[in-house]
Amino acid sequence: MLETTLCGVTLKNPVIAASGTFGFGAEYDDFFDVGKLGGICTKGLTLHPREGNPGLRVWETPAGMMNSVGLQNPGIPVFLERELPRMRTLDTAIIANVGGGDLEEYVEGIRLVSGAEGVDIVELNISCPNVHEGGMAFGIDSDVAAGVVAAVRRVCTKPLMVKLSPNAEDIAAMAIACEQEGADAVSLVNTFKALAVDIHTRKAVFDNVTAGLSGPCIKPIALRMVWEVARAVHIPVVGIGGIATWQDALEFIMAGATAVQVGTATFIKPTTMLDIIDGLERYCANEHLTSLSTVCNILGTVPNCNILRRIP
Amino acid sequence: MTSPSPACVEGATVLAQERLTEDVYRLTVATTTGGTPGQFYMVRSWDREPLLARPISIHKMNEDTVSFLYQVCGRGTELLARLEEGGEVTLTGPLGHGFRIGELRGRIAIVTGGIGIAPTFCLACMLPVRDVTVIAGFESTPYAVAELLTLGVDVRVATEDGSDGTRGFCTEIFDPPAFDTVVTCGPMPMMARVAQLCAGAGVPCQASLEARMACGIGACLVCPCPTVQGNQRVCADGPVFDAAEVIWHA
Ligand SMILES: Cc1cc2nc3c(=O)[nH]c(=O)nc-3n(C[C@H](O)[C@H](O)[C@H](O)COP(=O)(O)OP(=O)(O)OC[C@H]3O[C@@H](n4cnc5c(N)ncnc54)[C@H](O)[C@@H]3O)c2cc1C
Ligand SMILES: Cc1cc2nc3c(=O)[nH]c(=O)nc-3n(C[C@H](O)[C@H](O)[C@H](O)COP(=O)(O)O)c2cc1C
Ligand code: FES
Repeated sequence: MLETTLCGVTLKNPVIAASGTFGFGAEYDDFFDVGKLGGICTKGLTLHPREGNPGLRVWETPAGMMNSVGLQNPGIPVFLERELPRMRTLDTAIIANVGGGDLEEYVEGIRLVSGAEGVDIVELNISCPNVHEGGMAFGIDSDVAAGVVAAVRRVCTKPLMVKLSPNAEDIAAMAIACEQEGADAVSLVNTFKALAVDIHTRKAVFDNVTAGLSGPCIKPIALRMVWEVARAVHIPVVGIGGIATWQDALEFIMAGATAVQVGTATFIKPTTMLDIIDGLERYCANEHLTSLSTVCNILGTVPNCNILRRIP
Repeated sequence: MTSPSPACVEGATVLAQERLTEDVYRLTVATTTGGTPGQFYMVRSWDREPLLARPISIHKMNEDTVSFLYQVCGRGTELLARLEEGGEVTLTGPLGHGFRIGELRGRIAIVTGGIGIAPTFCLACMLPVRDVTVIAGFESTPYAVAELLTLGVDVRVATEDGSDGTRGFCTEIFDPPAFDTVVTCGPMPMMARVAQLCAGAGVPCQASLEARMACGIGACLVCPCPTVQGNQRVCADGPVFDAAEVIWHA
């Protein structure tokens, strides 16, 4: 019932662990069978290892959290040697999330990762708000993003999914640009650029001043963006942002998402994604649906949405 | 020592809630998940808000209970303090790597600051008590000391306001050359000082670090501890580290 095809790859279900919130999968394997998930996005990888940001890295907010991890990762060669073989035993789709400081690092990183056996999809991260150079810098302006996607597309031998930033100037135009340059799917959203101030020290809480906001508080905005993008492109859209229940996931699917990713909600309860999968299964059974795709993008067929279709 | 594998326990029953001082409580919960001294649990007694669970060390444990000693200092700990006997908590744990007990030899000092005394009880239970000295600093009224005394451990107290024991910081009554191994748990500046004193005297020291956490199990990387081998995760690689490997001033 829940089996889903995402750019040619068959997923057991449309529920995927979001990048940076699920390590390389093995950490949560102590708590539940992660093989039940539709897929796992790796922590954001870069060609060269990164130590990540100094100072505080997490701050709780009402219904959310801010993070400033800054793409700490062992580098792609170490990932391929040490983490990927273990991930491959987990029996779920492997989505390699790749970031970079400059165009060359993106291209070389994706060349390496996409050539590796066991990587099912490459998720190009042009949306990390926590690194100084690169990262989100490529995800604001559609023309700049188009350049990265075009260059990466030439070397990427696996399905290419581009992860978009909610901080983009125009999210629908951004998605269209990615589609035109050969992206097979888009995923959105990454975290929102946000600020917290420590009133006692009279300074920003984070050394980097701003940090990325995630969790239930971003859900309605993320959902609106997914809906706008789903209307603008013909490639699959993967919905991300504050999803914590099966009802949340279904909202994204009805708004046009083929699959969803869950991040912060896993911190609330390690088995959140299993609850979401169970809930979606029960929903399909109760509604006598043979497939969730029946309700995918169903919002688009509601007449009162037509006026809004003109959004780029 | 191999650590028991962690579990997520929903609806664990509260067996007791004791108020020890103005803001320090001891919560005892029914669970068979146990752990080793220095390990911790991610604890929550609320539904969606606040978002994250709180890391709390194992204070005492036996086959079917775990106790936590905690200080109220914000929303989460305030909610924990409202729990009554028969209430329920959600626990994920035991997590992390605790004290390396096999490496604690000879005369052992456990140097604690404030609520850092929490893991001392279960640690002392696993050591030859006659060789153990607890050097405990508090801002004001001490807590959790009486039980250590009943174990037969030598306890020396320092209080900042002089209300008990020696007036001042615990580091002022700690003489590293008098010990063969040291364990420390407390606020970062205090542990940094203990580490420095131990390094100066050539005494090995294990420190239990604190960091803000989200997942608590090693997946999100928000809890780094800078060490000579690069960033380690306090939740999964620690919380106990070799003090000489920690980069304290970072
Ligand atoms: C491994 C470990 C073991 C701990 N053991 C104990 C213990 O046995 N007893 C005890 O009283 N306290 C312990 N702490 C500290 C305890 O986690 C914090 O006091 C608690 O999280 C504060 O939550 P709050 O909602 O009351 O405060 P708030 O300030 O409202 O919390 C806001 C956020 O910051 C985090 N936070 C705030 N202070 C700390 C801190 N000092 N350390 C880590 N995170 C913090 C919270 O978890 C939460 O995510 C431990 C911390 C760690 C990392
Ligand atoms: C601690 C943390 C680390 C993250 N690291 C990455 C990353 O490395 N690469 C990436 O593309 N997204 C990263 N993200 C963003 C998430 O994958 C996701 O897009 C975002 O958190 C919104 O979803 P959520 O509200 O379900 O968490 C991170 C998020 C968090 C909370
Ligand atoms: S809290 Fe997530 S890695 Fe430590």
